[in-house]
Amino acid sequence: MQLTRATGTLRKTLGLLTANLLAATGAHAATVPDGVASIANAVFGAGTDVAGDLGRTRVDSAVLVYQEAGGRVRAIEPVVGATLNRANGDAISVKFTVDTLTGATPNGALPWLTVQSFSTPAAAPASGSTATVTSASGKSTLVTIPGVGPVRQYTVPAKTLPVDAGFMDERRAIDLGFTKQWSENLRLSVGLSASHERDFRSTSLSGGFSRDFNEKNTTVLAGLNLEFDESRPSFGTPVPLIYMVGRGREADEGPEGGREGSGRVVPAAVVARNLSPAKKTVSSLVVGSTQVINRRWLTQISYNLGSSQGYQTDPYRIISQVNRTSGAPSNYLYESRPRSRIRQSVYWDNKLAIGPTFADLSVRGYHDSWGINSITIGAAERVPLKSWVYVEPQARYYQQTAANFFRDFLINGQAMPTFVSSDGRLAKFSAATVGLKVGLNLFKTGELYILAEQYDQTGEHHPANAVGSLKTLDLFSGVSATSVIVGYSFAF
Amino acid sequence: MKPDRKRGWAVLLLASSLSLGLTGCSTIGVRPWEHDLLAKKSMQLNVAPNVTAFHEHVEFSKEGSAGGRSFDGGGCGCN
Repeated sequence: MQLTRATGTLRKTLGLLTANLLAATGAHAATVPDGVASIANAVFGAGTDVAGDLGRTRVDSAVLVYQEAGGRVRAIEPVVGATLNRANGDAISVKFTVDTLTGATPNGALPWLTVQSFSTPAAAPASGSTATVTSASGKSTLVTIPGVGPVRQYTVPAKTLPVDAGFMDERRAIDLGFTKQWSENLRLSVGLSASHERDFRSTSLSGGFSRDFNEKNTTVLAGLNLEFDESRPSFGTPVPLIYMVGRGREADEGPEGGREGSGRVVPAAVVARNLSPAKKTVSSLVVGSTQVINRRWLTQISYNLGSSQGYQTDPYRIISQVNRTSGAPSNYLYESRPRSRIRQSVYWDNKLAIGPTFADLSVRGYHDSWGINSITIGAAERVPLKSWVYVEPQARYYQQTAANFFRDFLINGQAMPTFVSSDGRLAKFSAATVGLKVGLNLFKTGELYILAEQYDQTGEHHPANAVGSLKTLDLFSGVSATSVIVGYSFAF
Repeated sequence: MKPDRKRGWAVLLLASSLSLGLTGCSTIGVRPWEHDLLAKKSMQLNVAPNVTAFHEHVEFSKEGSAGGRSFDGGGCGCN
């Protein structure tokens, strides 16, 4: 049955491709009679760099392959979508996304001179009291502690950033959209999105309008999006700031207080957890304007105000609590974040036709109520080599300040803050991306492209406040990643 | 006021002034028959929506900021 369906889908796709090819051949046959040249022109149709799909259906597909250095996260994300454009300007769109994630992700603890072991609450095994979890590292073990429940344990080598190698998830998402050409200069749009992961669900609803003025040289737009999220780890969400199950093997038993005896399992996080889904609502407003400056310059500016209310803590992330003198970890606590976050940003984008090339220059300023300020600068230059092929070098620079509750670690005996996280995404860092895209305009309406990129974060490897032997260790948990995107789009 | 915050407001003010200044000028814009370059796919603001979506997804899951070009929600549990 599945084979039949797949064969049918393939036949339809080939049919559409054939239709494109025939249409292209028809358009060029009269002017290019030579056989080889005719085929070349049919495939690499000249003059296909034209926007607008009125009366056509566009199919847009792509796949992202993303790999972080050091055997960390790998993501493979195929998407396919279609937009049906009616001749009167109305449009209906649908898009499907599947996102498969595997690999290892930092758990929030710091490296230490010796091996560290971690235990995290887990879903109950199907049978038996002990099992080895099949994971990328093969180092996670599932054990059931009497009176406590199932716990997944893993170890991290000495002087190594602690990562949880059992990380695996799959996200499936669907996006639906409808745009109504209300009048010659006014468009209304609504959207609906749903996303499902093993431990996270999200649903969002959006609405907006755009209106043209001044012979369509100016367009004003506004939109509102409401997103409803649920975090649903299999073991529930740990109570913030509760001790993790387990501890470092070389636990600090100094006078200012480690906890129980060395290596003893403390089941607090298993007991102190919320089993019901943790909810969050994100309300987001965007207002903006696009303006044609002249024949070679199009600019856009937009302002985004977002409010996130509810559970925003990472249920998997911990923070090391260390001895103030030696720096040795004695405990690991689950992090705690505020339940409210207000984000604001201004985005300014420019398209410039410079000679035969097309440049994209953008800048974004961002501020949020957690204390993060950031600036993002993007640049891309599309250089047509022929009418059917272009190359496009791209670059992006990003820099952010730390959230006001970010800490690399906690110190034993000091007052416990209400909010604390060692998440590297909330730290002060900068990031640079460089990439190269090559695109081919195929047939009359198609485009095939490949984009290869390198992303590198730069930050504080030896923070000034490090204590004891932590001064000798690399505490930076930033990311370096390589990604490749391949996409194909066509209309019929 | 913190320097970073000052910088943010400065960017906002500059961008707003520029935008308002440009839209208030009577010489900007083109006539309908001057759309030859603007009508090109390469000249569109979001020329590759899937690539933009991939970028925003990766950046949302690896950085502390979100939004700007569009809404700031992520629709995933990656941040």
